[in-house]
Amino acid sequence: MKLKDFGRALAEFWAEFRKSTSGLIGLGILVVSVLVVIFEPYALPWKETNTKWRSIDYWIDNSAGAPPAWSNLFTKLKSPETVILDAPKVETKELEGGTTEAIYTFTYKYKADKPPLDLIFHSTITGSVPVTISVMRPDGQAVDLASRFEEGLNAQNIRLSADNDGRDAAFGFMKNYASEEALQSMNSDSFRSTNILFNTATADMSTKYTPLKGDYKIIATAIVLDPTVSKVEKPYFVVTGSVSGILGTDDMKRDIFSGLVAGLKWALLIGILTSAFSVLVGVLYGIISAYYGGVVDSIMQFVYQIIVSLPVLPVLIVVSAIFKPSIWFMIAVMILFFWTGPVMTVRSMALQIKEETFIEAAKALGSNNRRIIWRHMLPILIPYSFASMALSVPGAIVYESTVSLLGLGDATIVTWGQILHDAMVGGAVLNGVYWWIIPPGLLIAIMGMTFAFLGFAMDKILHPKLQTR
Amino acid sequence: MYKWFAAKRIVKGVVIYAIIIFILSALFNTVSETTMRSQIEEQVRLETVRLKNVTPAAIVKFQAERKNSLIRQYKLDRPIVERIVFRTIDTLTFNFGKSTTIKSSLGDRSVNAIISEAIPRSLILFTVAAAFEIAIGVFLGLKMAQKPGKSLDKSGTLITMIVYGMPVWWLAMILIMVFVYGLKLFPSGSVHSVPTPTGIMYFIDMIWHITLPLFTLLILGFWGTAFITRNIVLGILQEDYIMAARARGIPEAKVLFGHTLRTAAPPLMTIAVLGLLGSIGGAIVFEGIFSWPGIGNLYWIAVQQNDVPVLMSSLAITIGLYQMGLILLDLVYGFLDPRIKVGGKA
Repeated sequence: MKLKDFGRALAEFWAEFRKSTSGLIGLGILVVSVLVVIFEPYALPWKETNTKWRSIDYWIDNSAGAPPAWSNLFTKLKSPETVILDAPKVETKELEGGTTEAIYTFTYKYKADKPPLDLIFHSTITGSVPVTISVMRPDGQAVDLASRFEEGLNAQNIRLSADNDGRDAAFGFMKNYASEEALQSMNSDSFRSTNILFNTATADMSTKYTPLKGDYKIIATAIVLDPTVSKVEKPYFVVTGSVSGILGTDDMKRDIFSGLVAGLKWALLIGILTSAFSVLVGVLYGIISAYYGGVVDSIMQFVYQIIVSLPVLPVLIVVSAIFKPSIWFMIAVMILFFWTGPVMTVRSMALQIKEETFIEAAKALGSNNRRIIWRHMLPILIPYSFASMALSVPGAIVYESTVSLLGLGDATIVTWGQILHDAMVGGAVLNGVYWWIIPPGLLIAIMGMTFAFLGFAMDKILHPKLQTR
Repeated sequence: MYKWFAAKRIVKGVVIYAIIIFILSALFNTVSETTMRSQIEEQVRLETVRLKNVTPAAIVKFQAERKNSLIRQYKLDRPIVERIVFRTIDTLTFNFGKSTTIKSSLGDRSVNAIISEAIPRSLILFTVAAAFEIAIGVFLGLKMAQKPGKSLDKSGTLITMIVYGMPVWWLAMILIMVFVYGLKLFPSGSVHSVPTPTGIMYFIDMIWHITLPLFTLLILGFWGTAFITRNIVLGILQEDYIMAARARGIPEAKVLFGHTLRTAAPPLMTIAVLGLLGSIGGAIVFEGIFSWPGIGNLYWIAVQQNDVPVLMSSLAITIGLYQMGLILLDLVYGFLDPRIKVGGKA
């Protein structure tokens, strides 16, 4: 087949294909998904999701099990969203004896009705730098929250949390206002620094939360003892809110939206790789079986019979449970089962093509068998397998997620099935954590739908008998 | 001759099953033997504890002897090919041995007892679901094919495509979240309440437990059947004899259910049975989500507790059931399609 013929065939196909609305929708979703995969670094809110999905440290500043930010629209009391404050106003002062003092002032606009969960300071520090963090409230009160002095750091990250390191300071601040009996009646277990920091200063502030809305100045003061060797880099604050991101977080504090974006490429890869290879193998198998006939055909049909007598999913689960395979091995196992799909159709079509005159002509011209199969039979039959290729993609995606759901997935990557496994184990069904269960499964279903749209549209073109009158 | 055809098909099925079990035995040989060896160790340790008034030297001697005899009994000292053949024969004769952790409801650790307890529960759920699916699916498919391109056909096809890749276990998770823990309408799992009621309440209790799993299977199940029925029937409706029947003035219902459905019966049967067989695979996860204590749930527990004998035996049984389904399918097909019977002797 020449390139020009191929182009014309494609144009004809497209002319038919564009008549199908659902096919076009499928194509649209596929294009969007591919674009998301290509621009994944920009689409990921948490850039290192791919490598640090299972790292506890990476997600430590998030809140656990936080609903999505948009859930505020449906609640009366608004929750604060997790924000990162990383654009401070910097002031540097020369002190006596060659030390400098750097003051980083961050502004946090507090508008919600519930307090944030934590206020965390991060910075990369080299050398010996004492750091103090304090909060200037909208009512003019200042609270010196916490300080840390570690010597001889080598570009290490320090983390100061209001909830851990600032408990005493917050408690002291509360004592200035709260009445004696209110203090006695309070439960020290439920004490949280931010409940005080963002509370209106009243006598019953230990038990009652009245949000003090307005601009909070969060100040980090670093004294650089020896400016030649010590330095403070990248200071930022995380205000941990009780709602977070586009799709919330799971109970390990991971951002679910990031996980889903990172899982998209695996879903596409698993689906497309499995179906493309298995269809190619299946078509070749069918052609060879039909072309050679006789004993070869009998043996190949028997092997085919054995494979189709195996239920795929149970075997896949047992193989995964025992060999703990990587994703590539899993794809290989799936190809081992999936290639049977097009074999019978291709075989019956190849039996007809085999008898055509052009094959006879090719033989008379001295073409060998390989040339006939590859150059004359395969190009005719491949287009017919496109539909079955598209239609076997959802199966591969669902099988992989099913195996992952059982906790047998490849632990070095993030897939949608694994997120659902974590949701099952984490009791998301029991607790109604809808933002953890619905999105991953919905994406699996949408992927399936996309390829079904494509496959059915192609099927209709390739098998005109199904066309509605 | 139908008898010949049937006998040939059954023999072929058994041979294929034996080959599959042989391949699986070879594939999982190492892990099975590791489990067997550790089970032998455990047994010898138990027997040693029961010994009384013996010297340490005698204990060591007893352990070594006992271990050797058990290894010989389980044929672990033979060459590898022989071991695989023995393992295959064991599996084919349903001699599955003992589980490592899982117990049956009576506290039995024999794998046979565990599995035979689970199979009927799976069969109930999935045959009932399949019956409903086929009935609804075929009816809907006929209606869709009757007026192709009209609104019912279009919306039916659209829904089929939308639910095409939807994992049924995910829908199960959501429905459990809403109906069990949210609205508290249905129980969270199992076949019966504890304590199990008696008399008529026994069945009502069971229906109450089976409703949600059944409903979940049904929502997604019948669309595929309907769509394929539509395609098959659509092809038949374009045949000349249907037009001839209509021209003779035969009522439309009779054309549809008599002429069309009779011709469509063999391929429809195939789809129905293949759908049922396909759900055997999907059942594994589905039952786990609903804690429906069938064979699928057994996989789930066996994977969780790393119980290799139960896992292997469940797989052998599942493949066996699948194989039986395929044989049954061909037999019924041959029965429905006279051409197969005639061609059977060839």
